[in-house]
Amino acid sequence: MEEKNINEKESLELISQMIQSTKEYIEVGKGNHFLYWGYYTTALAVIVYLVYEITGWKNSGYLWLLMFVFWIFMTIFNRRKHHAVMTYTNKVVNHVWYVIGSMFIVTFAVILVLGLIYNHYTSLNLMMPLSAIYVGIGVSITGIIVQNRWVANLPFVGIGIGLYMLTALYLNIPPTISWNLLFGLSFIIMMAIPGHILNKKEKTEC
Amino acid sequence: MLRELDPLLHSQLRLAVISILMSVDEADFVFLRKKTDSTAGNLSVQLDKLTAAEYISAERIIDGKKTRTICRMTDKGRKAFENYVDALKEYLNVNK
Repeated sequence: MEEKNINEKESLELISQMIQSTKEYIEVGKGNHFLYWGYYTTALAVIVYLVYEITGWKNSGYLWLLMFVFWIFMTIFNRRKHHAVMTYTNKVVNHVWYVIGSMFIVTFAVILVLGLIYNHYTSLNLMMPLSAIYVGIGVSITGIIVQNRWVANLPFVGIGIGLYMLTALYLNIPPTISWNLLFGLSFIIMMAIPGHILNKKEKTEC
Repeated sequence: MLRELDPLLHSQLRLAVISILMSVDEADFVFLRKKTDSTAGNLSVQLDKLTAAEYISAERIIDGKKTRTICRMTDKGRKAFENYVDALKEYLNVNK
């Protein structure tokens, strides 16, 4: 393309062509975020389960704190990465995940503070179902924004698993170690699979 | 009487850049060069003209060892683009 004058009809065609070429642009790497988080969470769920089964360590659930280490790592990793383009879609998706991330922090802080006040830490069991529900909502909204029905609907499996755990806790049914595997499975279905779907979509469109 | 088309926008490369920036929040120099299939020198000159007219803002940031230029539309640029499209419609009798 050069710096040359064009007629009115060519102008409209050019505007239409340029807007069309960027309209469907999804930031490359959006699917990868889902893959990193999905597989890391699943791997950690399996590790927590195996550590308990092999060593019998009753507090193996503390290993879930490694999620925060991964969070810090991903935050630094993302800050170093600059994007060639930021569409309005990407911006909205980023805002959605900012809200979801903030909800995690607030939830964990409230549960921890109440645990410290009452010296009763079983409420930390709530983190697992609430995480599944929060992440499920985040992925589903992302799917709606990028207009992919699989990404929008698959998270309902994870949300369902989260609600099952939440109801069980409300009914005083004690959580079992196998919940970790169920939680890991929910992240494969509601994060890893949507991640692969988004990556495939990006490759097709870019 | 037909309105005069904004000479700053009535040019192939500048109009392409503005059209892209109207449909995204921000874009860097490399992305704009690829999308418009232009040379770095030519694009740089046209971006300078658009920046001087305050139609776009260009921010230079350090990314590792490289310098990147991030471009965004300004309110003045948006208004100018809207007026340009309205004028084009008049020329082409789109609304009639």
